[in-house]
Amino acid sequence: MRPSPVRTWLILVVLTLATMAVGLPATAAPWLAGLVVLALALAKGRLIVLDFLELRHAPPLWRGLVTAWLWGVTGLAFLAGLVPLLLAA
Amino acid sequence: MTQLHVEEHAATALPEAGWGPLAGLPGHPMMWVLIASELAVFGALIVAFGIAGALEPDLFAAGRARLDPLLGGINTLVLVTSGFLAAMAVAAADAGRGRTARLHVAGAILLGGLFVVVKLVEYQAKFAAGIGIETDSFFTLYFLVTGFHLLHVVLGMVILAAITVTDADLRTGTTFWHMVDLVWVVLYPLVYLAG
Repeated sequence: MRPSPVRTWLILVVLTLATMAVGLPATAAPWLAGLVVLALALAKGRLIVLDFLELRHAPPLWRGLVTAWLWGVTGLAFLAGLVPLLLAA
Repeated sequence: MTQLHVEEHAATALPEAGWGPLAGLPGHPMMWVLIASELAVFGALIVAFGIAGALEPDLFAAGRARLDPLLGGINTLVLVTSGFLAAMAVAAADAGRGRTARLHVAGAILLGGLFVVVKLVEYQAKFAAGIGIETDSFFTLYFLVTGFHLLHVVLGMVILAAITVTDADLRTGTTFWHMVDLVWVVLYPLVYLAG
């Protein structure tokens, strides 16, 4: 059963507003804000991959490849933000 | 009068059984070859941006402080809403409602146009502030990555329009559009917010 596009869209809008709320103000813990906004990007990307790109019921190989790309780029973005903090510590 | 149509979806059929590992994907299998190559290129750009940011954290923090994250957020809302309209178009075409599908595709294209306008306003503000592609490595990558993505938004609008006009498989066009959407939801926090 295909999820309703309306439901997916509403979740995407809420996650985007949450991203803006976390990311816009200056924060005392930028690494934590970075982690949260990238986790929100991961959640949004997963919804787009599964529901809009319709890979939920596609061959596991392709679902896996696109999902791995998403985890890879968001994970790397987080690690890249963490490196300067680790070097400074 | 042409009718928008969609091929039988992968969940219920394997329309291109001769395509090997590409069989069973939504839209034309060749579109997935393009998407895979696009994701590889955008992946390389994201990696480059991340590594450059790790090497010059102060420069990137100062660069981000000169961006307008509100415009980036608004454009995210615009693009996910456009993607939603594209998904609604496919659902309408699946149900045999060609006119509704066409209207939804038109809405998706219009919102793509709004994304382009907001992005150009953002670029104009940067130029007005004396910031250009050669200002520093942050802004070189900012213009390179967001500009490359912007070109894909325009290309996606052309593909959606072409599919509507030529009666090609609607899913083939919307699949490309969702890829453009997917890349942006990663670029937004990476370029404007993270770190």
